[in-house]
Amino acid sequence: MNKLKENKFVKKLLQEKRLLVLLALILFFSLLLPGKFFTANNFRNILYSISLQGIMICGATFAVLLAGIDRTVSGTAALAGAACCTTIVNFGFSWQGILLGVLLGLLMGALSGLFHGIVLSRFEIPAFLLTLATSEILYGLVQNITGNQLINVMNAKAFNWVGSSRILGIPVPVYILAVCFAFTYIVLNKTVYGRYIYCVGGNKQAAKLSGINVKKVTIIAYTISGIMGALSGLVLSSMNQQASASQAKGYENDVLAAIVVGGVSLRGGEGTIQGAMVGALLIGVLTNGLQLLGIDPVYHDLIKGIIIIFSVAVDMYANYKKSGLKRDGFFKRHKKVKTHA
Amino acid sequence: MSSNIIEMKGIVKEFSHVKALKGVDFSVKKGEVHALLGENGAGKSTLIKILTGVYPKDGGEIFFDGEPVEINSREDATRLGISVVFQEFSLIPTLSVTQNIMLGKEIHKLGVLNKKAMHKEIDDLIKRFDFPLKPDDIIETLSVAQKQMVEILKALSTDARLIVMDEPTASLSAKESEMLYKIIEQLRERGVAIIYISHRLEEVFALSDRITVLRDGQLEGVVEHEDIVPDKVVKMMIGKELSDATASRPLAVSDAETVLEVKDLCSLGRFEHVSFDVKAGEVLVFTGLVGAGRTEVLRAIFGADKFDSGEILFHGKKLPKGTGKVIAEGFGLVPEDRRTQGFIPLLSVERNAACTNYDTLSSGGFVKVDKEKELGEKAVEIVDLRPRNSQVIVGNLSGGNQQKAVLAKWLTRDLKVVLIDEPTVGIDIGAKDEIYNFVEELAAKGVAVILVSSDVAEVLRVAHRIIVMKEGYIIHEFNNGVVTQEDVLLACSGIIPGEKEA
Repeated sequence: MNKLKENKFVKKLLQEKRLLVLLALILFFSLLLPGKFFTANNFRNILYSISLQGIMICGATFAVLLAGIDRTVSGTAALAGAACCTTIVNFGFSWQGILLGVLLGLLMGALSGLFHGIVLSRFEIPAFLLTLATSEILYGLVQNITGNQLINVMNAKAFNWVGSSRILGIPVPVYILAVCFAFTYIVLNKTVYGRYIYCVGGNKQAAKLSGINVKKVTIIAYTISGIMGALSGLVLSSMNQQASASQAKGYENDVLAAIVVGGVSLRGGEGTIQGAMVGALLIGVLTNGLQLLGIDPVYHDLIKGIIIIFSVAVDMYANYKKSGLKRDGFFKRHKKVKTHA
Repeated sequence: MSSNIIEMKGIVKEFSHVKALKGVDFSVKKGEVHALLGENGAGKSTLIKILTGVYPKDGGEIFFDGEPVEINSREDATRLGISVVFQEFSLIPTLSVTQNIMLGKEIHKLGVLNKKAMHKEIDDLIKRFDFPLKPDDIIETLSVAQKQMVEILKALSTDARLIVMDEPTASLSAKESEMLYKIIEQLRERGVAIIYISHRLEEVFALSDRITVLRDGQLEGVVEHEDIVPDKVVKMMIGKELSDATASRPLAVSDAETVLEVKDLCSLGRFEHVSFDVKAGEVLVFTGLVGAGRTEVLRAIFGADKFDSGEILFHGKKLPKGTGKVIAEGFGLVPEDRRTQGFIPLLSVERNAACTNYDTLSSGGFVKVDKEKELGEKAVEIVDLRPRNSQVIVGNLSGGNQQKAVLAKWLTRDLKVVLIDEPTVGIDIGAKDEIYNFVEELAAKGVAVILVSSDVAEVLRVAHRIIVMKEGYIIHEFNNGVVTQEDVLLACSGIIPGEKEA
């Protein structure tokens, strides 16, 4: 019993390693930027700035836990935004139009996710390649829908409320992020489906031979990812009060970066949504701090890139140690040969 | 000049203080086919790895053509004229025959390849042996046998005088094997010596000029051509002092109720016309050589692979298809390779054990965490896991404990039939015994057990009945009288003890 406690404690500490880094970073910027960084207003900004990617992370994490990847979160966001805004315009900015538009947008996300799930569970295509290709297709579709024009929904007041209002001083998108986070947290930690995600991601063959329906698990994961991507796109359209053909482009990289920095293994089966969210916060705080310091934006990406490489390296090393593949044979053997000769 | 191409004297090899070879003498004459026999772990592959420079030896001497030599790397071995044809091919699939054979020794002038000269050289080489190959054939378009020929050519292109063939026929069809035997004859006529390692005893007996038998890291004896008698050689492999529970076993057909009945099951390229039944509380063992189709039969029953024709009846009714449904009927499978198929290495013992049990551990899609925890504790108790902690990550456990974690997935369920595939590969002796005890306990509880094993001692330790498979067919069933290790070993190679059959 004692050992059990100890184990959990160590585990928690390890999980909190990233949290410690986050706190250190906050402390660092607070000292460097007295009165500017450590303010309620600035934290609100940080949360607001990560809310779109954060919502996507709540979906895309499912794919990464299955040793897959979903690069279409931005494409579905654009498609959902375009479909929704077009519908709103066509219905003359009425509330029915808004409702229909939102539902249609989410449906687009669900369908896109369903498609990816079905293809990936039937064929041995690397998820990276498939979603790389389909995200191009999605943006192509968006261009067709929008005719490469901005679709303005400034008149849809109820729709734009989400992107521009605050409740108790906190922007509404942050609440949406919180709900998505709670959803993913509960699914991953409390449901049988969540358990199966970790089984399939950890060892697909073993999961299959334990009677887990791997196809179903995969399809559901990508569908959730599609819906979350679409939701994020709707929030983005609401913030901008318009839909554009290149909406959310490039977000998929930020999303993936946050997930990886947050300790979710690209090999699947390992990592938490809390971790991924801390990853998003880390990047958010870093970007915000660098901005406030007045550092040229050119360096932001550079610094972000270095941090991603660092965390991937840590992830791979941890996996290597854990895998039991560590053998001392090679070096020892060659040393021995020398002493022999 | 010596009459021996290679002579190894008093070879010693230790792996972390465990002696794998305890002073072995081994010699091969020029131009002979010399078989190296021994059970798994006898030291065959260690000896070959020392000969080919993969492992350094810890003691002893090696003479090549009468001269003392040090072989410290594969390159050293190749330079002397020792080549190995491995089971897994070391060819590059997308390159041609010529490119593969000439790899690393291309003919060139200032870095520009002389393709014509290389083509001609390989063409000559192929013609010399009359192999059905062309220099420009791409490796991945070739059959397994042809690939092997390329491997042999590669060895010959370095003027090999000694070729080691490690299980060369393991993945060849009967026809292709015949072709290989002819090639071996040709090589022998040309004065190339061959060290032949194979589990297929009948081909060893037919091909070899001499046989060296190893057992427990020691030389058991060298059998001259005229003295090669199957029974005698097998006795040497097993050892005479083996007289405990695993030397022989009385078998009997149980009169309990038939649980599972398999009728004329066929799956193209895997197995044909497989029919058998298992009774409640019976341990039915499938034995045979690797690739005989045993694993495939288990997977077909379990719904993991499809089959072409035939019937699987469970208590007289058709077994539903699909792994999930088969599990729901009370089946369990402990797969062949636990690391890739058995457990989820990153998860705890509790989560691994639970993954087959969520039908009873959840309500409305939500996990009952308390029950899950209880199950974890129960699982650790049942399989006597060490340490007794259900939160340990399975990937960090020893082989034996990992196998227990796999067993825990099924022992926590109400089982009717359990399929167990090579359960003790890579497990230490203590844990092996525990696993046999689980098998016996399951049978005592009335569970029908089908166990696949290539380890003869294991077969005789647990079997109530033994079915022997070879190349996809059931070739024999031992179901009464006393069976010995020799009987089983010979049957695996297709030599059926006719009189002993009822």
